[in-house]
Amino acid sequence: MNATFGILWLLSGVVANAQWVNYPTAHVPKTPSGTPNLGAPAPRKADGKPDLSGMWEAENYRQCPKDVGCADMRTSEQFQDLGWSLPGGGLPYQPWARAVRDKRKAADGADDSTTKCLPPGVPRIHTLTWPRKYLQVPGLLVILDESTTGFRQIFLDGRPLPEDPTPAWNGYSVGHWEGDTLVVQTMGLRDGLWLDRNGSPMTDAAKVTEKFHRVNFGNMQIEVTVDDPKGYTAPWTVKLNQYLMINTELLENICLDNEKDLPHLGVGK
Amino acid sequence: MRTVVAAILISGTSLCAQWINSKTPGIPRMADGKPNMEAPAPKTADGKADLSGIWNPSSKFLVNLAADLKPEDVQMRPAALEIFNSRKDGAKWNEEPDAHCLPQGVPKIDAAPVPWKMVQGPRQVTILYEAFTQFREIFTDGRALPKDPNPTWLGYSVGHWDGDTLVVETSGFNGKAWLDSAGHPASDALHVTEKFHRRDFGHMDLEITIDDPKMYTKPWTVKESPTLLADSELLEFNCNENERDVRHFVAP
Repeated sequence: MNATFGILWLLSGVVANAQWVNYPTAHVPKTPSGTPNLGAPAPRKADGKPDLSGMWEAENYRQCPKDVGCADMRTSEQFQDLGWSLPGGGLPYQPWARAVRDKRKAADGADDSTTKCLPPGVPRIHTLTWPRKYLQVPGLLVILDESTTGFRQIFLDGRPLPEDPTPAWNGYSVGHWEGDTLVVQTMGLRDGLWLDRNGSPMTDAAKVTEKFHRVNFGNMQIEVTVDDPKGYTAPWTVKLNQYLMINTELLENICLDNEKDLPHLGVGK
Repeated sequence: MRTVVAAILISGTSLCAQWINSKTPGIPRMADGKPNMEAPAPKTADGKADLSGIWNPSSKFLVNLAADLKPEDVQMRPAALEIFNSRKDGAKWNEEPDAHCLPQGVPKIDAAPVPWKMVQGPRQVTILYEAFTQFREIFTDGRALPKDPNPTWLGYSVGHWDGDTLVVETSGFNGKAWLDSAGHPASDALHVTEKFHRRDFGHMDLEITIDDPKMYTKPWTVKESPTLLADSELLEFNCNENERDVRHFVAP
């Protein structure tokens, strides 16, 4: 089986079976007929800022590839190729970065960190099929990530970016509001993160800017700009759509628990 | 020595250097700028006790949850005693789940020994554990514990306020986690009650009751004392990244 779809299928068991809770999400606006009104205005915090809190899933309208068909967890084009929508044939790779991408793509992403139960990192976290829960509290936005039962912190308390942080999968993130858009800047990213399943590489020189805009109650757009001069010939920007999930909760997803996939996925070959 | 070795190995990441050293906003300070740990505990806008902050656990409870108890306080059933004895003196130290980067479970993760951060929101309190960069959701929106939840390492947690104390009830465990490195066992019948009370700005009283009728003849209670970790931040801790420890965990 194609490893890309193999792993999606294998990993998806947890989520696809049954959400373990079926508890109504609080404060969801309703239409006159009583159904959730996801087109209602985005909610706001007491301080008037938009509230990004909620459970979000990534856009997942990728067409079934003809040769392999569909996995039971659908993905976006960006999951496979983050730059697919850009004019001029995708991300503006430096030659070495394109060669790395080609090699990884040919290997069906066998050395993908997420295959090895390691985190997706930033900004790839936004394209995985597992849901994420955003918690916005004073001075902080937390993103709980079902893909690793892990979390990412975005500091909103006005602190500056550190000068030389310890490299991390999620880097170090600070955010501020520009109107109704939360502008988040991240640096200190670990060298060698994957941007997509094709294996587009990102280096430790990367600075990532994410603009979070909750368009309405049920939709959020994240505009991601990556400035990585070591890996790319110019900064580039992509838009990642997120959809609200209601009346459910995150599951505990422990990738290493009874892990049996790796030998079947050609990892390390 | 196994437990101590494990504690040192696990704590290595955070002992080296906290990667940032920015002043935590909103902390009462002494004249010399140091945090005033004895200042009154803060409140949220709605008047509830505010537990938010980074807390340093009392790591002796990682080694032995019953460290402060008398032997008769922890009444093991025969099956539990057999498991406990089989793990004695590090005999099964390479079978402990967290040696394999699996979650520590509740309440062991409260004694991690690395810090955890409480994030208090309107409908849930979330604990971000530096240990393996994992989170735990505690729903405070009035929902009941589910009757038949998916069994998990960290269980399903609901909380309510009893005055200034957050009372957290957790069940739905998968029965695989150890209560401590000494090897006190727990089953899928485990029900944990944690009472979080912020005594003053810098000190938390954390009372933990273990009720596991399959393993113990009666519930038993432990008092831990996490302290506030000011002017710092959690580190990223991916246990299985470049993992080199477990191969050295051999029985003595």
